[in-house]
Amino acid sequence: MLVDREISSVELTEAVLGQIDTVGEKTKAYLLVTRELARRQAKDADERLRANRDVRPLTGIPIALKDVLCVQDVVSTAGSKILKGFSPPYSATVVERLEAEGAVFLGKTNCDEFAMGSSNENSGYWPVHNPWALERVPGGSSGGSAAAVASGEAVAALGSDTGGSIRQPAALTGIVGFKPTYGRVSRYGLIAFASSLDQIGPMTRDVVDNAILLQAIAGHDPRDSTSSERPVPDYLSTLRNGVKGMRLGVPKEYFVAGMEPAVEQAIRDAIRLLEQQGASIEEVSLPHSDVALPAYYIIAPAEASSNLARYDGVRYGYQAEGAKNLIEEYMLTRQQGFGAEVKRRIMLGTYALSSGYYDAYYLQAQKVRTLIIEDFKHAFEKVDVLVGATSPTVAFGLGAKTQDPVAMYLNDIITIPANLGNVCGISVPCGLADGLPIGLQLIAPGFREEVALQVAYAFETATDFRKLQSPLMRAAA
Amino acid sequence: MPEPESELSSREVEHVARLARLGITPDEVVRYRDQLRHILAAINALKQADTSKVPATAHPLEARNVMRDDKREPSLPAEAALKNAPSREDAYFKVKAIQE
Repeated sequence: MLVDREISSVELTEAVLGQIDTVGEKTKAYLLVTRELARRQAKDADERLRANRDVRPLTGIPIALKDVLCVQDVVSTAGSKILKGFSPPYSATVVERLEAEGAVFLGKTNCDEFAMGSSNENSGYWPVHNPWALERVPGGSSGGSAAAVASGEAVAALGSDTGGSIRQPAALTGIVGFKPTYGRVSRYGLIAFASSLDQIGPMTRDVVDNAILLQAIAGHDPRDSTSSERPVPDYLSTLRNGVKGMRLGVPKEYFVAGMEPAVEQAIRDAIRLLEQQGASIEEVSLPHSDVALPAYYIIAPAEASSNLARYDGVRYGYQAEGAKNLIEEYMLTRQQGFGAEVKRRIMLGTYALSSGYYDAYYLQAQKVRTLIIEDFKHAFEKVDVLVGATSPTVAFGLGAKTQDPVAMYLNDIITIPANLGNVCGISVPCGLADGLPIGLQLIAPGFREEVALQVAYAFETATDFRKLQSPLMRAAA
Repeated sequence: MPEPESELSSREVEHVARLARLGITPDEVVRYRDQLRHILAAINALKQADTSKVPATAHPLEARNVMRDDKREPSLPAEAALKNAPSREDAYFKVKAIQE
């Protein structure tokens, strides 16, 4: 990166801001570009670099932040109209950590409203377009972050992943996206969707950048009591250890019905390549994979219905006009402020938690979650890392699935188990089908991020896939 | 385990929207009812899993109490907490009458 100091942070930042000017109207990746802030931070970073004062790996690097991350005094809306104009009184811990590194903030990236979606079409503002094919979705919910990195509108980005929202858009835009283990990264200042599943993670052009960004944000935070006190290993020190002698498991359930043949072929080729690199491959079973999606669509909406109760039009955000009393003000504010998918999930979650249905839905889903955790435990007794596809399809057309919520939910069928199972998963590019990127998913046990990164790096360096660039990125070069 | 109703009714949708403090038009009641029925039908696969001997997950990590040291730390100033308020009076959030 800037370690060799061939160019200044100001030059790099101006180049990236220039790319945003050139292609921003095509991708619509950003909800807000913070030009002044970026220029000020870049100047500060150059001072720091010149004086050789506390230079960190991310000093001077222009980074995009998903709009669910609070930045003090910078409008943060989680892609929702109900938070239009909301100016956070404090910053997320990950934001503070990047500031301490001397990173440069380019702005807030578009996403599905409150991170609920797999295509970015649920944004309360506008959809994002895939830099590989503008009439297609970039995936979601971190679709703006993915499109920004894939189009050269950011060197790296942060996303959040509740059921695949980092990995799936990374796969669909040909970049590297990592969902760390729940508890590895502080969620303080992350606008909550489902608090037992949400996790912030890095989205980057390659695995080395990913490891560097994760290193910067991982670790205990006293302000998030669910963040783990386990020490954070040095991710770069083990990155190049290769896969020789490693045991890789291929979950047979992850070759789901409806998987596109070109995706399956790319995944099988990738597995063969890892075998050639010296890994041993065996088929494993995660027998409860088929009920992960139903369990998720109870647990996540249930938690969301509780988390989103705070948007009442009283303390911040949108407030409806003309209400006669407080209850009516709540009802109107939420009716006018939330989009259709958010309302669907609030109602689904409220229903699953309501009297008479709690046992059949919520409690049963939490029991199924235990089964999924056990599935991973058993698999990881036999193998070090699990390998499969990230998404069963390549990027689909804008509007193709918006009329059918269930078809949209199926996009996350092989990313959701990692969230429910408290493990970590990374998506790395593993080829193209008709010019559209395919992602390979590598899943490692909880708090073994270094193992996932090690396999991802071995795969990346054994192939040329990281050199593949979207047409928008190529045009800039 | 009690079986959920076979089909979600319009009345239940209205009830749930009310519980969630979500205003909803008559057209939306029908639309959300149909969509939620479709989603619930897909989710019903959940019941296939044998969970008779399985405890529910109560916490994604090892469950433990987390206590902080009992010392004073800076807190958010009232002005910062109030700066996004749609309506306020002095150092208070202003709300509509709770009863008419």
